[in-house]
Amino acid sequence: MQKYSVFSLIKNAFSDHQNWEVAWKDPTPKKEYDVIIIGGGGHGLATAYYLAKEHNITNVAIIEKGWIGGGNVGRNTTIIRSNYMHDENGLFSEFGMDLWRKMSQDLNYNVMFSPRGIINLAHSDAQMNAYSRRGNSMRLNGIDAVLLNREEVQKLIPMADFSDNVRFPIFGGLMQPSAGTARHDAVAWGYARQADSMGVDIIQNCEVTGFDVSNGKILGVRTSKGDIKAKKVGLCVAGSTNILAEMLNMTLPIETHLLQACVSEPIKPLLDHVVTFGAGHFYCSQSDKGEMVMGGDLDGYNSYSQRGNLPTLQHVLTEGIAMFPFLSKLKMLRTWGGIMDMSMDGSPIIDKTHINGLYLNCGWCYGGFKATPASGWTFAHTIAQDRVHDLNAGYSLNRFSTGNLIDEKGLGTKTWIS
Amino acid sequence: MLYINCPHCGLRSQNEFAYGGDATVKRPELNKEISDQEWDNFVYLRKSPRGKHLELWHHISGCRQWIKVERDTSTHEIFKTYKANEAIE
Amino acid sequence: MSQDFRLDNVGMVNREKKISFKFNGKKYFGFEGDTIASALIANGVHLVGRSFKYHRPRGFFGVGVDEPYAILQLDRNNERDPNIRATEQEIFEGLEVKSVNCWPSVNFDIGAINNFLKMFFPAGFYYKTFMWPPSFWYKIYEPFIRMAAGFGEASIKHDKERYEHKYEYCDLLITGSGPSGLASAYAAAKNGARVILAEDKPRFGGSLLTSDVNIGNQTGVEWTEKIIAELKSMPNVTVKNRSQVFGYYDHNMLVMSERISDHLPKTQKYLPKQRLWYIRANEVLISSGSIERPLVFGNNDTPGVMLSSAAKEYMKVYGVLVGKKPLIFTNNDSGYETAIEFKKNGVNPIILDTRSNPSSDIITEAKNLNIEIRFSYVVVAAKGYKKVKSADIAKISDNKKELFNIENIECDCICVSGFWTPSIHLASQSGNKSKFNEKIDAFVPDKSKQKENTIGSANGIFTLEETIKDAFDKGFDVSNKITEKNNKVSAPTVVEKKSTDHDKFWCVPLPKGKSYKRFLDFQNDVAVSDIELALREGFRSIEHVKRYTTLGMATDQGKTSNLNGLQLVSDIENKVVPQVGHTTFRPPYTPVSIGAIVGREVGKHSKPTRKSPMHSWHEKNNAVFVDAGVWLRPRYYKQGNEGLFEASKREAKNVRQNVGVCDVTTLGKIDVKGPDAAEFLNRVYTNAWLKLPVGKARYGVMLREDGIVMDDGTTTRISENHYHMTTTTAQAANVLSHLEYYLQLVWPELNVNVVSTTEQWAGAAIAGPNSRKLLMKLFPNLDVSNEGLPFMGYKEADLFGVPAKIYRISFSGELAYEINVESDNGYFMWEKIMEVGKEFQIQPYGTEALSTLRIEMGHVAGSELDGRTIPYDASLEGLVSKKKDFIGKRSLNRSAFTSTDREKLVGVVPIDKTTSIPEGSYIVKDPKAKLPNPKLGHVSASCWSVEYDNPFSLAIIKDGKNMIGQKLFAMSPLKNKTIPVEIVSSHYVDPEGKRVRS
Repeated sequence: MQKYSVFSLIKNAFSDHQNWEVAWKDPTPKKEYDVIIIGGGGHGLATAYYLAKEHNITNVAIIEKGWIGGGNVGRNTTIIRSNYMHDENGLFSEFGMDLWRKMSQDLNYNVMFSPRGIINLAHSDAQMNAYSRRGNSMRLNGIDAVLLNREEVQKLIPMADFSDNVRFPIFGGLMQPSAGTARHDAVAWGYARQADSMGVDIIQNCEVTGFDVSNGKILGVRTSKGDIKAKKVGLCVAGSTNILAEMLNMTLPIETHLLQACVSEPIKPLLDHVVTFGAGHFYCSQSDKGEMVMGGDLDGYNSYSQRGNLPTLQHVLTEGIAMFPFLSKLKMLRTWGGIMDMSMDGSPIIDKTHINGLYLNCGWCYGGFKATPASGWTFAHTIAQDRVHDLNAGYSLNRFSTGNLIDEKGLGTKTWIS
Repeated sequence: MLYINCPHCGLRSQNEFAYGGDATVKRPELNKEISDQEWDNFVYLRKSPRGKHLELWHHISGCRQWIKVERDTSTHEIFKTYKANEAIE
Repeated sequence: MSQDFRLDNVGMVNREKKISFKFNGKKYFGFEGDTIASALIANGVHLVGRSFKYHRPRGFFGVGVDEPYAILQLDRNNERDPNIRATEQEIFEGLEVKSVNCWPSVNFDIGAINNFLKMFFPAGFYYKTFMWPPSFWYKIYEPFIRMAAGFGEASIKHDKERYEHKYEYCDLLITGSGPSGLASAYAAAKNGARVILAEDKPRFGGSLLTSDVNIGNQTGVEWTEKIIAELKSMPNVTVKNRSQVFGYYDHNMLVMSERISDHLPKTQKYLPKQRLWYIRANEVLISSGSIERPLVFGNNDTPGVMLSSAAKEYMKVYGVLVGKKPLIFTNNDSGYETAIEFKKNGVNPIILDTRSNPSSDIITEAKNLNIEIRFSYVVVAAKGYKKVKSADIAKISDNKKELFNIENIECDCICVSGFWTPSIHLASQSGNKSKFNEKIDAFVPDKSKQKENTIGSANGIFTLEETIKDAFDKGFDVSNKITEKNNKVSAPTVVEKKSTDHDKFWCVPLPKGKSYKRFLDFQNDVAVSDIELALREGFRSIEHVKRYTTLGMATDQGKTSNLNGLQLVSDIENKVVPQVGHTTFRPPYTPVSIGAIVGREVGKHSKPTRKSPMHSWHEKNNAVFVDAGVWLRPRYYKQGNEGLFEASKREAKNVRQNVGVCDVTTLGKIDVKGPDAAEFLNRVYTNAWLKLPVGKARYGVMLREDGIVMDDGTTTRISENHYHMTTTTAQAANVLSHLEYYLQLVWPELNVNVVSTTEQWAGAAIAGPNSRKLLMKLFPNLDVSNEGLPFMGYKEADLFGVPAKIYRISFSGELAYEINVESDNGYFMWEKIMEVGKEFQIQPYGTEALSTLRIEMGHVAGSELDGRTIPYDASLEGLVSKKKDFIGKRSLNRSAFTSTDREKLVGVVPIDKTTSIPEGSYIVKDPKAKLPNPKLGHVSASCWSVEYDNPFSLAIIKDGKNMIGQKLFAMSPLKNKTIPVEIVSSHYVDPEGKRVRS
């Protein structure tokens, strides 16, 4: 594989960039693989990469219905953080933070991980206390967290509303300085390129139409490009999980919902952090291109449509202006939507299933992008070893029977309320 | 913005309603012996099909009635709406 | 005033009204009706900006919403608008604009060094480098890239402008007032339909303003004026200019932004800057027209290269020449119209036509006007850096692969026409899958998904005759479905010049040995070589190409670049365009101001504020308020120099010693009525309700079906079939919906009704040992003895002439009563309580003292019942009935819920009895343990115990009850605190509960 560097860039410039190799190939599927990963999104690509890298399993295919990186890895607001209260989420995500920090060098692909810090604004003492609980939990888990008072927040983000004409004044905030953003597409492409170079077949435009299961064991998948045998199959299709589960006669504690996001026109650098609003659901950062990247609530009813509705965006942007009044003067340039797996406690599932050789990775709710490396790493482990790793032990499917729920927001099963 | 035909009030904008999820979930009867699995399924499992979906909406800024709406989850087309206890066709 | 490029007596600007404005600090003049673009071109200014990546000089490319180049920063009325399009913004007296993305000036821009290094910056170069050393990305490379990117500078000042929303319904919405829009609006309006006709530009007429046609013996402009005047006079028609329909949402909801004040120096009083229209339309006719496509050749981004239709519009609408030595480069007849217009205005154009031997009316006309035409000719490259000075042109072979006879000719502008792309955005947004039309090499709408039809050139119809006829028919058909009036007006006769087929050729090959950049996306600097590179590297899906190269992702959203990009991919991949597919269009069609989307819900109005009827009393008495959801509640009443700590301590102490009064109006209140009310409550609450006598209250806890505590509160049996339920402030709305859910859907057989009465009652809690004495004075005729009104008793009485309800309930753990009167009497009640209570040393107390009082008593509240706790966790097991079933009961059996080491409520006292434990601290065994340090649980609430005068906290910790007596540590790493603590009972004060019953 060609190595990317400033030197290779200069060298190729002198041959008019004619000699760059393909980032990944376009193979026809083999008859059989050791492992098939369904879903060429961030999690699927990462899983394949870690299967090859950590477990030396390279006879692997990724099967993607459309084009790789076309799902939520390419439709998110690029936020990376591990500011969770619950131990299961905190330790899992912090493991992921380490992978993020090394990712560009590990993949030899600049994923532009930018640890610019995330600030959760608090608008009451009660909220400061709730954030203290979360921040203290993070610190005791070895995750960086700082509690900011009003003045400290103002120093970092003077554009927030510190005026008298504010509905919910800012009391302070919780900051995770090591959190940040990354270039989302690059994550998918970087994993794809490395996985491909280690022998993984990336098969695009190939839709799974069924499964071959016999005596409680998975034997292979049926696809629009023919039947493919496999010893093990991993599902990584957030947003389409319920559709595939139906083919397997499984019903999962997951609802499918639409989450919209939008960007403003690009402006010169103004906001150096990721900021979330405390008196509602709104988050904002500025991309390297200069666009303000914004998101908030779900559209609020089951949806498989990537078309969103305006009332939700209006509501989200209302909270946006409440937090950052200057947004009023900017223009909304682009909106888009992604289909979420909303699980019944807001936390994901990475587990084995009742079918031998079939593994499940789903239920990421809003938090899929940040989890990409840790999810891929633990899912690869779960598939390769046929047992869950300590890091994803909490993300079991049976927690909905035992009651060991991981509910960061305390909202329970009404997934559409956020 | 959805336009929902409340069987009590007529066509109303989505803003007047709150969503209520899968309308086919049936609560087990009180005091009835059921298995753990049946109970957990009731609490946590939802139909979430792509296509026709029978779902609850609550007309909170209107008549405050819970209604059932048959809607396509990929096109958002609404086929029919029902009163809470109307028989579903 | 000399405007070298202004034509005399041509155009529609108001020559009577001269307007001065500033561009980059220099003063210029224009006329009323000019845009910044037309006024600057009139003054010979073409260099207005710099491109995103290479900082190449940028001029004007179009004349409207499709403009990729001319983005400026505007100062209007002391407010800064960061990214406005010079082709859309009309000038007004005193307007000031400046160039963006250049430093120190647009003429001399340091960033242009990128242009010389461009060989090192192909598509996606940043993915391949800036990786070493790892820490440099965030610290060095990224800040540098961020600085180079972006356009305008946003101000962080608050926007003082007003934006409004309007909701509208109509039979027919028509999006665009070109020939098809006008014709269909007229036909539908005459047939009685309620019509809204929306036009993005200030002037109605679309292409009729610039084309040389005849409709019903009138020019296009005359016909437009006539139709518009007639439409405006009709009561069933709304005609709006400066109004862009930018989004087509579900169930035929469309959204339009109307620019009301942007073209004025100042927003007038009582007018908003912009107004957002939510329009629910029965039917929609999309008449959004089409946008000319560029032709692609070397350095085709040089200022002076522009769309030929734009050049024509600058002449015909604004009376402005974009150049005096124009080169027209075209693959179809449209370029000829521009050339003829130049000729008519005394300028000699040269036409280069890629076609070898076309013939049509309009070509004949050009020939007759002695316009120089070269067939099978192309522009190879534009020459000149900040403005076109000349062009290398060449003859092209029939297979369009070879270039011959390259020569350089002088010119000062190059007007390009690569045929037309229908604006199908709104149709696509509605869910319409488009189809590719080979004849016009572009996508057109396919079958309707919602109630929409596309007409005119937006539907790929490019002759006026057909457009008018089709639009009259459609206008009649869709209106008649609604009005059924059958009033059909006939279409006028149309005279137009016939044109011939366009050439499918659009991208000029590079001459041997030349590496000109040939641009597709003009704002994002995406060139042909970038697309080629993306495909070479395996980015083959059009979405991959778009994301890897950023094609079409600029603020013009690819209006001029998308289709050429698709064509290029299909050429290289040897596919037809529909196989490559196209990216889906999402709203908005054009960027919309966020202020307009949000409307009036800004500042204090971003969410409603709820206040109790006693609010003004609290204000007058120095209350410091706290947000409790959307309510404002007094947190404490400040006396002298007191802070929160002193004041709340004083207030709480006064409750324990004398009597205090607290405004509890915000609590949710629900009337539960009906013969089955008791049975219903028995199912809703975890404890038993069937035997509660009339005149008695009971505390209850309700669960969600998953076993988690949803809410708690007291419910009182007012009469046989009438219960008064209270909920927490936060959960009031949820609880009502929850009750309605079970009554309407699960147990419809229960004859019970529920209704919110939160707004009906004002509530005051009086608490403390003196509260009975106070009550006696307030209700002299009522027996308030412990026997007459026992704990959890209820009475109705008269409070100085006002009917009142008295509940003997207590949150503070003291002897206490809650008095409710109708809201209108709340203020009166409060004043009376204060007046009468004076002799008993009454003081008002706020939420902070209330919190202290309940924490000391071990009463749980929101910080314990946080959506994760079950009754056992909060020491509420006594309230969970073993005998009956209730909502959520079955879930309580789950193994994690019955596990012995589950976290439970306890009290925590610091060993030193002086150090307060911050809320949100964790209880650990070993503060020095290696991270992650195992947590036993967390501190949910803290107070300064006024009873014992030392800090006291509640905590929820593992194996809670068995931990009592243990010495552990409370840790708050955030506050750098480790506090040795002792675990005690959560019932810190009056554990036997004697006081409430006293």
